Amino acid sequence: MNAQNLLDHCQRALDLVRKHGADQVEVFGETSRRITSAVEKDDLQISKSRQETRIGLRAFVGAQVGFASTNDLTKVDDAARDAVTLAKASPGDPHNVLPEPAAAEPVDGTYDPAADAFTTADAVKQAIRMLETAKSVDPRVIVGEAEFSAEIRDRVLVNSSGAEATELGSLFAYTVLTTARDGDKVSNMVFKFGAARRVDGIDVEAPARRASAEALGSLGAEKGESFNGPVLLDPYAVLFLFAPLQFQLNARNALRGMSRWKDALGEAVAVPGFTLVDDGLLPGGVATSSFDREGIPHRRLPLIEGGVLRSFMHNAYTAHAFGVANTGHAAGSAGSLPTIGPTNFTILPGEVAKDELISEIERGLLVSRFSGNTDPISGDFSGVAKAAYLIVDGKVDRAVSGTLIAGNLFEALKTLSGISKETECVSNYTFPFLRLEGVSITSE
Amino acid sequence: MQKLLEKIVAGASGWVELRYQARSTKRITVRNGGLEESSSVLLSGLGVRALVDGVFGFASTTDVSEGGVLAAIDAAQSAARTSAGAKKERAGLAEAPMAKGTFAVATDDPLDAHSLEEKLALVLRLDERIRSGAKEIVSSTASYGEIQDEKVIVTSDGASARILDSKPELRTIAVAGRNGDQTMGMESSGVTGGWSELLGITAPEELAGKAARLAVDQLAAPHPSGGVSAVVLDPTLVGVLCHEAIGHTVEADIVLGGAITSDKIGQVVASELVTLCDSGASEYAPHAVGILPVDDEGVLTQRTVIIENGVLRSFLHNRETAAHYGVAPTGNARAYVYSDDPIIRMRNTYLEPGETPFEELIGGIQNGYYLRGLGMSGQADSNAEFMFGVKEARRIVDGKVGELVRGVTISGNAFDVLKSVDAIGDDFAWENGAGACGKGQYAKVDLGGPHLRCTLTIGGRQT
Repeated sequence: MNAQNLLDHCQRALDLVRKHGADQVEVFGETSRRITSAVEKDDLQISKSRQETRIGLRAFVGAQVGFASTNDLTKVDDAARDAVTLAKASPGDPHNVLPEPAAAEPVDGTYDPAADAFTTADAVKQAIRMLETAKSVDPRVIVGEAEFSAEIRDRVLVNSSGAEATELGSLFAYTVLTTARDGDKVSNMVFKFGAARRVDGIDVEAPARRASAEALGSLGAEKGESFNGPVLLDPYAVLFLFAPLQFQLNARNALRGMSRWKDALGEAVAVPGFTLVDDGLLPGGVATSSFDREGIPHRRLPLIEGGVLRSFMHNAYTAHAFGVANTGHAAGSAGSLPTIGPTNFTILPGEVAKDELISEIERGLLVSRFSGNTDPISGDFSGVAKAAYLIVDGKVDRAVSGTLIAGNLFEALKTLSGISKETECVSNYTFPFLRLEGVSITSE
Repeated sequence: MQKLLEKIVAGASGWVELRYQARSTKRITVRNGGLEESSSVLLSGLGVRALVDGVFGFASTTDVSEGGVLAAIDAAQSAARTSAGAKKERAGLAEAPMAKGTFAVATDDPLDAHSLEEKLALVLRLDERIRSGAKEIVSSTASYGEIQDEKVIVTSDGASARILDSKPELRTIAVAGRNGDQTMGMESSGVTGGWSELLGITAPEELAGKAARLAVDQLAAPHPSGGVSAVVLDPTLVGVLCHEAIGHTVEADIVLGGAITSDKIGQVVASELVTLCDSGASEYAPHAVGILPVDDEGVLTQRTVIIENGVLRSFLHNRETAAHYGVAPTGNARAYVYSDDPIIRMRNTYLEPGETPFEELIGGIQNGYYLRGLGMSGQADSNAEFMFGVKEARRIVDGKVGELVRGVTISGNAFDVLKSVDAIGDDFAWENGAGACGKGQYAKVDLGGPHLRCTLTIGGRQT
């Protein structure tokens, strides 16, 4: 299935949904070709390939909406009928609208023609390179899981208001999960991620080496200490602890009254040095593409700027409900209705080096992974600091195990005492190290 | 399709497993009277597994023409061959009772005989019912979901099965609020079966009413103080403990990854009252969600006794791990959709009922708790350490169930908890409702058992 073919299928599908009685129609089509090679417990496990074309149909009958999707191109007429039947049977909602058409400009660097020639054998080689690199650091390292995937994706969006957008993308993504074992001593699990949009950008060795080094570093961790104090979060720990920010910034949650920030536009919600940007056009970003799930052009949007809440993430529904501009944050696949979600979600770096942030800590904790919960409503977080190090007199002192940290995300945003200039990209998230103050640290 | 796949397998070189799947999914969700989602998804495709020189390769395709199937076999075999040089341990396939024939869910009332309008009307009614339950209800959600599958599995070593499955479910969520305080109540139901089986297992209005009542009652409930306590667990929590905290630690792939159970076969791991099983059939009560007559390797499933009278007897296997351990496969290989490769999953996991009437279980506790249902949170590790939120907790004082308390969590090591069991109820229920299990891919499973009495750690208010 090439791009022109997919576009033809989508346009025919649009006509079919109309024929079954819809007033307005949106069709989103995706073709994906994916190769994966997986390692488990220090050995190659399985290699896989898949290809699928999926078409998602949204039928509007007045203010009523129905959705159907299929990967069987001989069943598109059935899906079209289902979408219209569901719409006609459903209660209407005045905010069920198609977005105003807006032309998306192509973005450079999202597709590498060399990806077409990438084979299963190439994926196996990369998976093995990850395994061997991790093991070469130290024989005590165990690669619990590693996976390399290569994917090429065609996307097509057409609607009855005249929108027509197509895009081709390639993505190479790789993950590695290590532990280190020395006799009875077992380290924490360490997870690292890497990605590239181009073949020549693939570097599986860097994450593998870091995963090994960090696993070895936490080997021999001993009981920690209990106190109230500063915690320096590694970007991977920031990802897990700060994930609920996406919930707060989702306009749908503001509309439902569930976002704590529903009435906080223009107000300070974080320290002045804190800026959070969502940028669907970020060069080389994992989530970079020219248009969203509803065909609206992606852009760079500051959500929190200098600590002040500037915008929510909107799709056509919430933009209409709030009477504001659509920010192009319709998310999701052809297999479901458009939702709202981030693209490349980025906390901008500060000006201080990570080591300087450590050097200012008299007694604190460096946390590389967090396993616990952050309640999206209250912001309370509590959980286990998985790869944690005690900081004493400005230096990383020793690895500690069984340490619980607890605090509140919203308070943490307002009392952050440091943002590092180093950042790290984990999938579509790019975060610096963040230093939180007054965190409850409990050794079990 | 079955004829075509049989013909292709007969002509294929080496061992191949072809699994065709056509799936129809429908979902209707209503929140606060407004439609959140009404969707229909039709998926079909073929997954191919090939074994070349002791290495598996997998490929999937949506092109199920003869040419498309042959191309997918070629892709799977080439993936296996490509990997062969790099793989250290060679995989084998244990002999197994391979399935032949047609296996269909028994129902006289198929889901397709009921219109979308009828299903939507039911969901709207439930949503309305939740909100009319009490003036404190601030948010209501009701949803209906259904999965209908047709699968054809043909392998080089004798399986040729056509499987028809149907699993509908209902879910209700109520949020109650008063003076800035919010509490939630959830109830769901699910079956393997048709429309009347779903409506028959629990009356839908009863689900909505219960969810609303639970949310509202908790507003006034105090938090308990933590500590070790005698408790009676309901069939849901018994099932959750069996599935989440014990079951995953006996999945042979997890065992090989270093689970706590790896050297415990033949050892006493629980009270002698405890017999714990995982079955492809619906033992003791009908329509369990995890009914699976044939697994996704084409193996006829069975009732697998994991713990018998307190002694660990068996892990859960696919053909590869069974070959590794030199035992018979248990029929636990499952794939969620055609594009997933089969991995070891549970089916219906339960504790065998005992002989003690419910009143006696409660009557034997001076000071303790009666715990019902899984709350919002739950996690367990491969060392059987668990922490579960409890949906509804009531104090037991002098052998009588009394006051509701809120925010209760239970934690501990599941094997220690099973060792503390001193009485098992004579009742039985399947209780997973609309729940599913996640392990890289989804699986519809069920879990359940009788009530039981044991000792565990209660977590009180989390500060």
